[in-house]
Amino acid sequence: MKNYSQPNTLGRFGEYGGMYVSETLMPLLLDLDQSYQKIQKDKKFHKELEDLFKNYVGRPSALHHAKNLSAYLNGPKVYFKRDELNHTGAHKINNCLGQILLAKKMGKTRIIAETGAGQHGVATATVCALFGLPCYIYMGSKDIERQKPNVFRMKLLGAKIIPVESGSKSLKDAMNEALRDWIKNVRDTFYIIGSTAGPHPYPKMVRDFQSVIGKEAREQILKIEKKLPDYLIACVGGGSNAMGLFYPFLNDKKVQIIGVEAAGKGPKTNQTAATMTSGTPGILHGSYSYVLQDNDGQIKEAHSISAGLDYPGVGPEHSHLKDIKRAKYYGVTDKEALNAFQLCSKLEGIIPALEPSHALAYLIKAFKNKAKGKTIILNLCGRGDKDLFTAAKAIGFDADE
Amino acid sequence: MNKLDHLPSKNILSLFMTCGFPTLSQSKKVFHELLSHQPDIIEFGLPFSDPMADGPVIQESSKIALKSKITTKQSLNLIAQLKKGSDKTAFVIMCYLNTVQKYGIQKFIKEIKNIVDGLIIVDLPFEEEKPIKNILDKNNIHLIKLISPMTDQKRSKRLLKEAKGFVYYISATGITGSNKLDYQEINKNVLALKKQTKIPVLVGFGIKSKKDVMAISKNTKADGVIIGSALIQKYFDLKMNFTSYIISLRKFIKEVKI
Repeated sequence: MKNYSQPNTLGRFGEYGGMYVSETLMPLLLDLDQSYQKIQKDKKFHKELEDLFKNYVGRPSALHHAKNLSAYLNGPKVYFKRDELNHTGAHKINNCLGQILLAKKMGKTRIIAETGAGQHGVATATVCALFGLPCYIYMGSKDIERQKPNVFRMKLLGAKIIPVESGSKSLKDAMNEALRDWIKNVRDTFYIIGSTAGPHPYPKMVRDFQSVIGKEAREQILKIEKKLPDYLIACVGGGSNAMGLFYPFLNDKKVQIIGVEAAGKGPKTNQTAATMTSGTPGILHGSYSYVLQDNDGQIKEAHSISAGLDYPGVGPEHSHLKDIKRAKYYGVTDKEALNAFQLCSKLEGIIPALEPSHALAYLIKAFKNKAKGKTIILNLCGRGDKDLFTAAKAIGFDADE
Repeated sequence: MNKLDHLPSKNILSLFMTCGFPTLSQSKKVFHELLSHQPDIIEFGLPFSDPMADGPVIQESSKIALKSKITTKQSLNLIAQLKKGSDKTAFVIMCYLNTVQKYGIQKFIKEIKNIVDGLIIVDLPFEEEKPIKNILDKNNIHLIKLISPMTDQKRSKRLLKEAKGFVYYISATGITGSNKLDYQEINKNVLALKKQTKIPVLVGFGIKSKKDVMAISKNTKADGVIIGSALIQKYFDLKMNFTSYIISLRKFIKEVKI
């Protein structure tokens, strides 16, 4: 592979990506793309972002050697990239800070966002509070029900939550509504998309802001192990935490890259969110990528116990990495993720979010008694506080008392 | 011959309706009613699960049509059937790209050739249109251009350079929390567009009544209007009573046909 330089100027990662939106949004996206290109050369912007990363988020996040889990596996040496220690409890804040600084530069006065698990909503509400901008969060009513702690957090932070009742009442539908809001309010509104999905320039922009994860991890592992890791593992819904970890390693050919999707009740059932293992290429939310769809191109409803992975699409760059075989993607079920969630809590004293629990589940499944002497970095991209009620219910523990 | 090349010079009426709404067999009756008034254009909406550029009324019609399991093939068959005996009205399909892509672009265009005069793919912007436009051109189907109030003149000039059929000017966008039509702004933008193209400019989005149609005709230089949501809304206003719906459509179309 030559040096990796995707996407092209039209936002193509290989054949994936692009800008498939109506003419009401197109001028706006082109404007956003130009503003983003400009800001990338702006030293003051980078300095401001670095300062916020350090003093507001608490970066760099730690690289923790998970000794107990490694011993349990009797296989590779596992490191956790601990983005769950970030302010607001997940990697989402990295991207939100980048985008709100850009929104400020562009003179926008109103912020909208979609959220599934609520982590991106909380991160957006947080940066809006910090910068004093009004914040409107679109959230599926099903997700509002299963992510109550985050709903309360967003409200405390001053955001207005707009419940979405259409479709499957989860992330996909929240994104539809947020896009509709943007079409209506194009002049003053900035849409902070939370994943590496959507039309160009979002997949590139979100990846760039999240790649601080991989940059830090690369430096940290080189310092500790004096060599690059053998594997990277991250969960993939839209795919922002995974792209953030993977991107700075793409040219390191020896580093094997694994993305883990949520297969819900199983990849062959109708209740899955494993887009790349069960889907086909199509167009959703402005970009060409793998999607879960029927023979007529109608988008299917996704299912996962994890609200953050419950999305029938995936970022276009992941589709590209899959097709060129630079990364491999696997699915794990709700049940496997729940088991990993409990095992990680007991072994490492870290309660992970249900999203990275999928990455953990794959690690446990694929690396038990294997790959001895190898090193793995797993992106522990979120903490489990928000999932306590969902997990308790699924495990059969009465948490209402 | 492409009927869109022979539209009248004033007061063009284009009616939008979702295929398969409320059900496939009822949809046929709805389109028969629309066609009986000989509008200049009918836009056939192909239902899509995620119509992100549409408002709540058209969204709901898509959802209802999809609930009765309508397929793209059935929609195309319906349009082909309706074509027989309706030689006064230009046929246009309005859809989202994934529907066409999944059906197969070549196959889709082959099947609508000689039936449909124009195609509007809502989420296919100018920057991405080339491969599809080339095939459409060869088959004498016009790819209709959408222009929004956000499209500046430099951009509209590029978009309209090779535009055929008509220009779909989206009127009500960018006006926060208001559905009121600003005729002065519409006229300003329509005039600017008419300097850039010779094909008719039709105003769509937010036209709800005879009053709106008359006002567009009187206060702007637009060549006509597109009515969609208002036709569908009546179904919900009438608590989904299909017989009353057909009667009210009849009355409404007679009113807006000026």
